[in-house]
Amino acid sequence: MAAAAVYGAGGAMKGGKLGMEGAVDMQLNRIRITLSSKNVKNLEKVCADLVKGAKAKELRVKGPVRIPTKVLHITTRKSPCGEGTNTWDRFEFRIHKRVIDLISSPEVVKQITSITIEPGVEVEVTIADV
Amino acid sequence: MAGRGAGGGGRKTRNFATFRLFPRAGAADPNDRVFVRVDNNDYNVPGFADEDPFDSNFTADAADLHSFASGPLPEHVRREILELGLPDDGYNYLSHLRELRPAASAASSFVPNSTARPEPLPLDVKAYDASRVRVAPSADDLDEGKTMCKVAAKTAPLRRVQRALDPDVARLLDESDFSHGGSEDEGLEEDFVIMANQAEGDDEVEEEEEELGNGIFSDVEEEKEEEEFEDEPKPRVRRLLDEQFDLLALEEYGDSDDDDDDRGGRDGDYELPSEAIEELKLFCDQNGCVDEDYRTPADFVRGRLESTTADEVDESANVIQKCAEYAERYLNEPAEEKETVLVSESSDESEVWDCETIVSTYSNLDNHPGKIETPGNRRKRLPRVFPGETATTNDLIKLHGKEKLPVDYLPQRKRNGEKEKKVKPAEAFNAEKVKKEVHKETKEEKKARKAAVKEEKREARKAKKELKGLYKSETQKAQKVAAVTGPSSIRLIEACYGHCNSSTAMLTEGEQ
Repeated sequence: MAAAAVYGAGGAMKGGKLGMEGAVDMQLNRIRITLSSKNVKNLEKVCADLVKGAKAKELRVKGPVRIPTKVLHITTRKSPCGEGTNTWDRFEFRIHKRVIDLISSPEVVKQITSITIEPGVEVEVTIADV
Repeated sequence: MAGRGAGGGGRKTRNFATFRLFPRAGAADPNDRVFVRVDNNDYNVPGFADEDPFDSNFTADAADLHSFASGPLPEHVRREILELGLPDDGYNYLSHLRELRPAASAASSFVPNSTARPEPLPLDVKAYDASRVRVAPSADDLDEGKTMCKVAAKTAPLRRVQRALDPDVARLLDESDFSHGGSEDEGLEEDFVIMANQAEGDDEVEEEEEELGNGIFSDVEEEKEEEEFEDEPKPRVRRLLDEQFDLLALEEYGDSDDDDDDRGGRDGDYELPSEAIEELKLFCDQNGCVDEDYRTPADFVRGRLESTTADEVDESANVIQKCAEYAERYLNEPAEEKETVLVSESSDESEVWDCETIVSTYSNLDNHPGKIETPGNRRKRLPRVFPGETATTNDLIKLHGKEKLPVDYLPQRKRNGEKEKKVKPAEAFNAEKVKKEVHKETKEEKKARKAAVKEEKREARKAKKELKGLYKSETQKAQKVAAVTGPSSIRLIEACYGHCNSSTAMLTEGEQ
């Protein structure tokens, strides 16, 4: 994954930082949480909760990155038959996506994500080496 | 840095694992989710994955089932499948089970099946429902004939027997029959009074009372009754006297009255307060009907406000005597002495006026009390009634001339000129021209006149068409209204044309 590679490049730096901190003994991973949903409000709420939870546990968080929303258009004739003025319906389906990056151990992340979940929000977690 | 390890040729080593949150299969709550791995990399994250790759089961049997995918299912699994009633064909139906959502189970599950018919009996079996038969506790006194009659009376033949699926259910059903017995039908025992007053120590009598209370079976209990109460062999119906006797017996031989308070709630449903019980006792003993404070309206009227003693009402001779007394008093006493006035009910209602009070029985459709009309010159002018013009258009105020004045109601000036102008347009020319030279100008004048008339008519026709178009909706509305209220002989649409004609005629006249 290109993103993983990019992070890999920066990984040394992060590893250094981690070494300095020292107190954290458990294994840390880079964790990317991707949240996607049709519903902006729920999505923002979940994002905010996650960030808040992570900050409460004193993890390093890269705040919600908003990926441009994908709009799927469906344009159909309104008429069920071919007769009449050619009027068209324009439907759209919006997918919003947010990305949150953390550095922590997987157990902590599991805790955080288990608490705050709204219906309709899809969560994907990618775990890689630090 | 680990990402760059593979070099240029192959794919970069993928040292990551991706998980997704899915709702747990078979979960009651849709918010109950688990992380499921969705990629195939070699990277392992210990402690994050909730279970094995996502196409497996989530139960403890998962591992077993995987190993048994091709072979037979493990025994406990098979047993469970069978218990659920599913066929034992080697497929693991347990993977399709789902937990019940709490809301669903509370509201909707297990509605009794109204269309289910119990299974019909096999042809060589006959079934009878004997749940209502009461077996007498002491079998000695009964002869077979009586027993058989009783049994036959209480059993009903069945054509269908409902077979319970579960032995547990069947057991429960059987148990419930015993506990409820016959008392399901009557809510309250017939002699709850007795039972409420019953002494607690009297277990024998208690049992008997309960049996009496059930009341369905006559023979058994009657015998018992005869055994114990030999003084009063009464038929079953006279319950009042039964109770009276029991109370009497209780009084003389039973416990004190203090027990009644405690055991008021024997049935659990009904509890008599002790005062009520004592009153009832009084009632039963004295066979009387009256307390000290009981009054009838008749008492007030006759002035008998003092306490009437408890007379025995049953004695008919007394009653006749009393009636005679009342009659005498009624004749002799003046009615005005008494303070209390008995008012008859009907006067109250008639004093209140409501919208349904009838003033007259004449209907307004036929009866037209005088109509209020606009003041002024109305009656002084000649009534100009055009054919087809209805009463509805008579009260219109017509506006004439350029200034659109209500000409009829202005202070009157030059009535003659106006009158001539309006009333007889066609003849006006004649009247004027006749005074002039008659002969030569007659032709010309005739032509002029005729031309003028033609013009007029043409314009009238045009205006009529215009107005007809304009007012068509109005005429339709008016026709509707008239259809409901007015006499049906009048046709408003034509009348409106007539009106339009008249108004246009006036307008043109006014302009000229």
